[in-house]
Amino acid sequence: MLDPSALLALLLLGLPLLAFLVLWSGGRRLNFLAGPAGVLVTAAGLLVCFLYAAPDSIHTFSFDWVSIGTFPLTLTLRFDALTWLMLLLVHFVALLVQIYSTAYLSHERSLYRYFAFLQLFVFSMLGIVLSGGLLLMYIFWELVGLSSYLLIGFWYQRPRAVWAAKKAFVMNRIGDAAFLTGILLLLYTTGSTDFEVLTHSAGSLPPGLLTGIGLCLFGGCVGKSAQFPLSAWLPDAMEGPTPVSALIHAATMVAAGIFLLARIAFLFTPTAQLVVLLVGTFTMLRGALSACRAWDIKRVLAFSTVSQLGLMVLAVGVGSWQVALFHLTTHAFFKAGLFLSAGSVIHAMVPLGSSSPGYDPQDMRTMGGLRQVMPLTFGCFVVCAAALAGLPFFSGFLSKDAIFLQAFAWAAAQGTLAYLIPILALAAAGLTAYYMTRQVWLVFMGEKRYLKYPEVHPHEAPARMGVPMALLALLSLFVWFSFNPLDAASGWFMARLAGPDHHAAWVPWLSVAVTLAGISWGYFRFGKVPYDAPVAEVPPEGTWPPKRYFSWLAEFSEQTQQRVFFLVPFQQVAVLLQRIETRLIDALVNAFGRTTVVLAHVINWIDRHVVDGGVWLITYLVGRAGRLVRLFQNGKIQTYYLTTVLGLFLLLLWLWLL
Amino acid sequence: MGDHLLTLLIVIPLLGALLMLAWPHERSSDFRLITLAVMVLEGIVGVLIYLSFDPALSRYQLTEAADWITLPLGTLGTVSIDYALAIDGISLPLVLLAVLVLLVGAISSWTIAQRPRAYFSLYLLLSGSIVGCFLAQDFFLFYLFFEFMLLPMYFLIGLWGGPRREYAAIKFFVYTFFGSLLILIVMIGLYLSVMDPLETARMIGLLEPGVPGSMDAIRQVQQWLVNEQIAPEQIVRTFRFEYLADPANYLPGTLLSPDSTLTLAGVPFRLLAFWLLFVGFAVKLPVVPVHTWLPDAHVEAPTPVSVVLAGILLKVGGYGFIRIVDGFFPAEALHSSVPLAVLGMISIVYGGFNALAQSDLKKMIAFSSVSHMGFVLLGIASFTAEGINGALYQMVSHGLLSAMLFLLAGVLSDRTHNRTIEHYRGLIGPMPRYAVLTGVAFFASLGLPGFSGFVGELFTLMGAFRAEYLPVWVPALSTLGIVLAAAYFLWTFQRMFLGTFWYAQPQDTPLLRDLSARELGLLVPLALLTLLLGLLPGLLFDLTGPTVQAWLSGLR
Repeated sequence: MLDPSALLALLLLGLPLLAFLVLWSGGRRLNFLAGPAGVLVTAAGLLVCFLYAAPDSIHTFSFDWVSIGTFPLTLTLRFDALTWLMLLLVHFVALLVQIYSTAYLSHERSLYRYFAFLQLFVFSMLGIVLSGGLLLMYIFWELVGLSSYLLIGFWYQRPRAVWAAKKAFVMNRIGDAAFLTGILLLLYTTGSTDFEVLTHSAGSLPPGLLTGIGLCLFGGCVGKSAQFPLSAWLPDAMEGPTPVSALIHAATMVAAGIFLLARIAFLFTPTAQLVVLLVGTFTMLRGALSACRAWDIKRVLAFSTVSQLGLMVLAVGVGSWQVALFHLTTHAFFKAGLFLSAGSVIHAMVPLGSSSPGYDPQDMRTMGGLRQVMPLTFGCFVVCAAALAGLPFFSGFLSKDAIFLQAFAWAAAQGTLAYLIPILALAAAGLTAYYMTRQVWLVFMGEKRYLKYPEVHPHEAPARMGVPMALLALLSLFVWFSFNPLDAASGWFMARLAGPDHHAAWVPWLSVAVTLAGISWGYFRFGKVPYDAPVAEVPPEGTWPPKRYFSWLAEFSEQTQQRVFFLVPFQQVAVLLQRIETRLIDALVNAFGRTTVVLAHVINWIDRHVVDGGVWLITYLVGRAGRLVRLFQNGKIQTYYLTTVLGLFLLLLWLWLL
Repeated sequence: MGDHLLTLLIVIPLLGALLMLAWPHERSSDFRLITLAVMVLEGIVGVLIYLSFDPALSRYQLTEAADWITLPLGTLGTVSIDYALAIDGISLPLVLLAVLVLLVGAISSWTIAQRPRAYFSLYLLLSGSIVGCFLAQDFFLFYLFFEFMLLPMYFLIGLWGGPRREYAAIKFFVYTFFGSLLILIVMIGLYLSVMDPLETARMIGLLEPGVPGSMDAIRQVQQWLVNEQIAPEQIVRTFRFEYLADPANYLPGTLLSPDSTLTLAGVPFRLLAFWLLFVGFAVKLPVVPVHTWLPDAHVEAPTPVSVVLAGILLKVGGYGFIRIVDGFFPAEALHSSVPLAVLGMISIVYGGFNALAQSDLKKMIAFSSVSHMGFVLLGIASFTAEGINGALYQMVSHGLLSAMLFLLAGVLSDRTHNRTIEHYRGLIGPMPRYAVLTGVAFFASLGLPGFSGFVGELFTLMGAFRAEYLPVWVPALSTLGIVLAAAYFLWTFQRMFLGTFWYAQPQDTPLLRDLSARELGLLVPLALLTLLLGLLPGLLFDLTGPTVQAWLSGLR
């Protein structure tokens, strides 16, 4: 008889896996079924989660995957409060995104593939969430990477999309290599990667080693959650279909890194924590600055995701993974809402029946004034943007405020210099408010710049797109998380996660002030963008700081993508080693071979002229000697007599000399 | 019949080759049928061997032994060379892999039209020798099979290969022949140093002829050997693996006896012999820097030969490390584990980087083989249960995957004779099935969990981390290999298969047909097999585990 929790896990994982297999092997025939099937499967999963959610208890279920010698490798599934939170979150956002996709991608010819890959993603993501140990998590971690690769490269005819898909997978792999190293070090030192076991055994490790292990494991988060220096793949991942960006590259998959940190936060030594904190802070600022410069509607949101993930990592760094998770949750809703609304805008900007318009339908400079034709989208976008910017009465305010509180409390405990961290976090919040204001104004307010392109006929989204957007916007309001719009501590979320409670009445006011300042600055800069504002203004795209110097990552280019690998140092080393291979190692082998041949010729010469020549010489001499001797055998008695006398004389001479 | 399963496995292909020589010339299309029939028979024998093998017994099974050459040499004792075959958990997976890969190779040889009699009889000769290598229990016999693999391989590359086939064939031959020479030197040294305790006991009269040997008699003879109570002419010299692996059988005072203090330029003879043997097998694996024959051989070899070469021939190197190099020189191997592991790491990283720089698809795959076989060396050098089992697993996994990869590369070169990566774009358009299967093979090879490649890398790395002798940076740097694998496989996939379709020689575009039924029939089962092994690695670990455990405890 199976354990009930095992049965539950089997059900939750089996449904999407089955859906993936059926849809993928079914091919185009199943296009008509793909959308509804995906939605139904995820809805069933969500229902199961609601029915069986038991966040107050911990259930684990272990099985031996393989045993070598005396050492069984045990994989564990785990249900606890964190699992249930993530299960609900993933299912819910995945459900909305799939409903949205049925309308957004209704003209797609490979719909079956899209939904199959989405189900594969859901399967893998649920696997990460259910993992009770790091090894099992790593397995699903890689599968999430695969589904992300497949979905970014969904439009595989587009060179840029497939380039971005590969970039995402390879950059994630760099983090994963560190992650795997950490896992194997843990296995080596403690014999287990089970969270339950680790809580007991990790304390006995020497701190230096524990720091190393913690940092290696953090590598996994750096890759998946796009932290510095592995953050560059996320903006490029926006080449995938927009609903995918919403689900995977904003709400759930990129949050897996934060989830990982929440699971292993107890392993971090103070040194490791400091590194985590600094990486998070830097990523947060860099992402925010880059978002201020981007013109692509999705890339702004992508940079903003990088920045918000940095903020969550910062929260872990100041010692409170609970508030990081809180922000993860609120962020999942409003960022998914933003992406779906942005998708609605792009949907409206792409002329019907034409796949390659003469302008960039994602460039915000081609938009403007869209609020009149797309009121619902506008409303959803503004609500979610307000949540992201951290305006009071929205969910983002609560979670950001919780992080600021933790950061200030941490700084107070650490000393004066540490105040830099919360101050930088506030600065990033101000930047967030600035770039979101910029985006809202460029897209929805001001002049209707899209009128310059006669083929554009913006239209409001259909209901299957509108309802998910509206639901996500609703969930970006404060009431779902706390009845007090200015304080999350009294809400159910924080109460359940039982994070450390800090309170400072001045922090919310400070953050509101910073946010308002950011909004005003954004309005001041972008409130009046003229109708004929140039589109190809420099810099057209970008990260911050702008790339004028050497970078270890090559940008995409249509001309060079067949020759230039995006990781510049990798390719340089590869070319160098190939030269060593052909010009040194192989050249030596060939030189050795050639020397042997030359030597063989030399020996052959010696053989013919010296050895063989010697033999010839001997036969020649013998022949000559024979001829010489033959002279004496001439048959004349006088000659024989003379010879005999000569011989006798010589004999006597010899005797005399003796 | 049942007692001679192992002999059957060797003899069937050789008989098949003989049959071909007698076959009427005009019926040239029969040769591939004969080969296929032989390989199917081999498969059946392989399954029978698998079924009669008991993995829980951690010793040799299905043993067959017979005196082959016995030659009295006066004061030099007696030469005794045995025809001895056996199988254990280390060789069984490789034998099964060999049978499978050879079957795959036979099917993919279907299109060989040029001199089929010669091709297929050489192929069968090669098959028998490869299988013999894994079964032999006598060093002399092993060496014989080892050398016999070279000859057919040389001709298969040199006669049926690509444009530079002669260069590649001679390079392959000289390289591996050089390796076998080193092995030969050590083999002679071992022969001079080791006695066969049972035969010696019979020679002395301790055992009556025909009476089966007992451990007591062996112990007694070994004791006498230590006390130097045995006259030199009564000592029976041997090549048997089991005696070579037991230090008690070494004659005191000989070059390679474990208590020998003889040195050459300060290096003990045993260490020297260890390194000679190691280099001999390193050429086969191959280990950087003695690997450069591999890319050339692969590029020039016809597809089925590439499949056999990567799928099973390289594994003889890894098998030799475990059975012979480490088996006969355990102390030296343990002592040298750091340089060995570092060589493994260098192979992984160096092969990976070189794969990234290649523009020929087959060359890219060849370098990926170098990288993946580096994991085998790393696992073996760890001397842990995880590492050795992982290395064996990695060999089997790489055998399946490289067979798949070379078959896939062969699909393209069969159609257009052009394997340049930059000359293709968006092949998924005209060849969707081909693209999907290549994607599966690439992801499986780059170590995606669920496929066998992941398990092999995981366990070899786990072993290397666990190894008490190895510094942490060796396996840590080796993880760069998994990043590189993602880089070169996915970059290749992106360039050749994705994007909008384009081919450098547009007039040949009609040649780009999707996979045929025969190709699908080869590739899909292989893909399913790596998936099966990846999900249930126990299938393999249960075979290897007990033997490796016993092997390890015997080592220390």
